[in-house]
Amino acid sequence: MKEFMWGLSGVDWALMGAGSAAILGGIGSAIGITIASATVSGILSEDGTKFGKLLPIAAMPGTQGIYGFIAAVLVIVFFNLLGGNVDIAGPVGFKIFLACQPVAWLCLVSAIYQGMTGSSAAGIVAADQPAPALIFPALVETYAVLSLIVTILMLLSLQTAYMK
Amino acid sequence: MSVPLLKAVRDAQRYGFAVGKVRVLQTRIFGAGTYERLLDAPTFSEQMRVVSDTIYGRYLEDAKSADDVEDGLERALDDFYRFLDDANLPDAVVRFFRVRYDYANVRAILKARALGVSTEGMVVGLGTVSTEVVTGPVAGLPPFLGDIVWALTPVAGESWVGAEAIDATVEAALFADLVHTAHASKSSTLRELAALTVDVANARSAVRAHRRGVPAGVLAGMLHGGGAIKVADIEAAYELPFDEFIEVLAASRALKGVTADELAADGGLDVVLDNLVARFVRRVRVVPFGPEPVIAYVMAREAEVVAVRTLLIGRLAGLDREALRRRLRDLSV
Repeated sequence: MKEFMWGLSGVDWALMGAGSAAILGGIGSAIGITIASATVSGILSEDGTKFGKLLPIAAMPGTQGIYGFIAAVLVIVFFNLLGGNVDIAGPVGFKIFLACQPVAWLCLVSAIYQGMTGSSAAGIVAADQPAPALIFPALVETYAVLSLIVTILMLLSLQTAYMK
Repeated sequence: MSVPLLKAVRDAQRYGFAVGKVRVLQTRIFGAGTYERLLDAPTFSEQMRVVSDTIYGRYLEDAKSADDVEDGLERALDDFYRFLDDANLPDAVVRFFRVRYDYANVRAILKARALGVSTEGMVVGLGTVSTEVVTGPVAGLPPFLGDIVWALTPVAGESWVGAEAIDATVEAALFADLVHTAHASKSSTLRELAALTVDVANARSAVRAHRRGVPAGVLAGMLHGGGAIKVADIEAAYELPFDEFIEVLAASRALKGVTADELAADGGLDVVLDNLVARFVRRVRVVPFGPEPVIAYVMAREAEVVAVRTLLIGRLAGLDREALRRRLRDLSV
């Protein structure tokens, strides 16, 4: 294994990329769900009948953690990290690391903002308004999905280019 | 993550539960329709029928007199403030709303003692200090109240100070406490509200004093620090003729939205200045996170209690529909 930058091997970089996607996406989701759940819990403490409408709003920021997890699994599968005796050149590993960054950072930030949007949208449910409250946090989801697509495309191109 | 994002996250976690509760509770605040029905009700018993369908129903179910209404609404207000405790808000936020009743109680007790009358029925249980402690020995009072009482209670051989001196001392301590508590709450909205409260009080005192021709030296003792308008600026403007003084005051950013004509109008000053606070509440009500929706809710409930009291006691006193409507409009609810 060829060493690259600070003595890290290609596998090290690839694992750091996969790990950062899973960790940052997970952190974002945890914060986002906490934010939305705080408001949702407050509403339910006054009106428990709204549980069904509010649960998706509280749960929605959880998807970013799943996207990070998917990116991490794809790195492991595409580059055969479970196969043992893996040989990834340092610069290739670094490129894998870079490919994971869109989903990692965008999921971190978008999950937090989605939690806030969900917290605001829960007010629509609390006020018994007929407008579909779920739409607004779902709009934030768009960008997390786009970042996952970008990461997948980059990982696919790297797999095609470097893996036999 | 930018700093505003971190603040938003912190506020959402700190106040999220309370904001959620408020989102439901604010749907139960009286709308124009309820006020119209209360105005249209020809008798007190008809009004009570309207009220029985609202959140005030259980507090006023046996109300027959003005005293019953006062007692019921005091209990309602106490429960609204208790919501602040239940919602797990920082102590300073709760204190900001309740502490003014402590000062009102002390003011009532001092005036009663100065006049040599009983303090019975003069204190309300809405403050941070229980009525038993407030009406008990001075040594049992917390320092922020005890200091005022010690300062104003005459020593042997002296006579009591006048009611105006009691008002001035208590008011100065109250405003200083509100500003300090707002800063301790770390809420920019409460800080803004405390500053606005001071500005409104200072503007009210200065305009009235100028109209009465009170000397500048006397005015200085009536102004309070902590507002957005510096005391020195008010004192400097006070030297100008009335019209120019009003122009300077109306041009200040803190009183934005108030015209010089409105400030100068005889009789409408209280309404104009109270509208500033009402406008502040409307502005912060739409903020999605942080303490703002909770603060706006509590203030809306306070205004609602005042409006309900005005309508019920007004009807009991025999006021007609138009007189009640006029008073309601003045309350900016």
